[in-house]
Amino acid sequence: MIKVEDLSRRYGEHLAVRDVNFEVARGEVVGFLGPNGAGKTTTMRILAGSLGATSGRALVDGLDVAEHPRKVKRRLGYLPEHPPVYANMTVGDYLRFAASIKGVDEPAAAVTATLKRVGLEGMQGRIVSHLSKGFQQRVGLAQALVHDPDVLVLDEPTSGLDPAQRKEIRDLIRELADGERTVILSTHVLPEVEDICERVIIIEQGRIVAEDTIDALASLQRRIRLQVGRPDLTLEQAIREIPGVQRVEALAGGRYVIDADGDLRAAVARIAAPADLLELQGREKLEDAYLRLTKRTTGDANWSADQEDPA
Amino acid sequence: MKNILVIARRELRHYFTTPTGWLALCAFLVVTGFLFVLEVRWFALESMDIAYNPYREPLDLGAHLLAPFYGEISLIMLMICPALSMRLFAEDRRQRSFELLLTSPVSTIEIVLGKYLGGMSFAGLMVLATGHYALLLIWVGEPDLGVLAGAYLNMLLLTAAFMAVGLLTSAMTENQVVALVLALMGLLLFWALAAVGMIGSGPWAEALSEASLFTHAEPLGRGVLRLRDLAYYGSFIGFFLFATHQRVESMRWG
Repeated sequence: MIKVEDLSRRYGEHLAVRDVNFEVARGEVVGFLGPNGAGKTTTMRILAGSLGATSGRALVDGLDVAEHPRKVKRRLGYLPEHPPVYANMTVGDYLRFAASIKGVDEPAAAVTATLKRVGLEGMQGRIVSHLSKGFQQRVGLAQALVHDPDVLVLDEPTSGLDPAQRKEIRDLIRELADGERTVILSTHVLPEVEDICERVIIIEQGRIVAEDTIDALASLQRRIRLQVGRPDLTLEQAIREIPGVQRVEALAGGRYVIDADGDLRAAVARIAAPADLLELQGREKLEDAYLRLTKRTTGDANWSADQEDPA
Repeated sequence: MKNILVIARRELRHYFTTPTGWLALCAFLVVTGFLFVLEVRWFALESMDIAYNPYREPLDLGAHLLAPFYGEISLIMLMICPALSMRLFAEDRRQRSFELLLTSPVSTIEIVLGKYLGGMSFAGLMVLATGHYALLLIWVGEPDLGVLAGAYLNMLLLTAAFMAVGLLTSAMTENQVVALVLALMGLLLFWALAAVGMIGSGPWAEALSEASLFTHAEPLGRGVLRLRDLAYYGSFIGFFLFATHQRVESMRWG
């Protein structure tokens, strides 16, 4: 459904996106991951047709975005990082305007249906700037949906929202992704990706560094997290001696991070049991894979409060 | 075409849903009303004087009342239009709503023409809102209807030219005040170029004065319709709309 070929975008001297290639099949939900400034927004804007590519091309359902902008835009809904809303219009007026310029035949009916879908019924008469951030985000999402597009491109749809709002938007996206609709969403909230997406594309400094299903990415390297009640040096030594263990890192509070080249959960559990085994986690988390691939320091990859998602 | 109208309607509505539009309209009517009274008073006093003075020619309603009065309104429009046009692109880009237009199935030409038409409609309404002065004059006197029609056509063409310049400066920056100042400076320059032809001589002075809005607005204000003036207005507006189009395109590719 979406195909990106050797896409590059230059801003003056700075190469924001370099030779990016990827494909997204119809009905797939793909997460676009990467640190800030990695080129996620640039790639998405090129797909949505609001930015031109320096070289390479982006195809939506076989149509080149640059050559057939109208046809592509009619089938693609885009939610930029900041919802593209007119602050002093009412929700209803704004969406009717969006529906009209997107070529919807019956704007009024489309607006009513879309408002219901994003949970904004009864908000038609409200002025957009009087709404909370979460509701403005919904208005932005409604704008992307009003022409019932086959492809949805969402740039950090949950940024700046509180956990409850984030969950609502996430549930909404999962609902929208049902069926035939193809969705690309960027985020740096990793649990969100694990929650919604089937596949992730990790981009770093304008290049794709990994592209795979979440399970495959997470199992690239076996990492075991361990917590025991009575940590001591002999335990650490014993773990180190298990065949296949590559690295053991002892952390505060009796916690260990063990990297291995196979599934060593049983072996580790046996050794750790006498030392009061409290917790053992086998599978590498997506965040570990992400940090490793984007060359960030690993260490104890506990997420800061802002990225932890209690919802 | 439909897209142009959809965009234009939104822009036009904006002027009526915010205080700015109403404020501009009110201020405009107060000032023009004041000028109208001044001009009519001057005309009446002079006419009385002439009635008792056999050596003076009688005043012409067209040349001595309509042309100066509508010339003054044109100058006021020169100052108001940048304030009307400044938001057309700048505000849209600052509040990021421009992304909606860029990712909708509309062409850059449609965006530019839609915004221009929307702004121009409001400015045109302002010009037409001075119609009651014309009706008053027709009621109490016998103005030359040709001169009157020429004056209105002239004001509308001038307004269209002012808005075209303002549209371009609005597309050049996200800051509305910068857009306003740039447009005002540009318009005053195009207006004042005529003075070069009055002071200097030679081909350069003539060319510069030919480029001036004033040089081409003045004859039509007197009721003299010349093809070259219409051609000037056409190319002036066309040039600035084209430049705006290029500017908006460069936002995508630059």
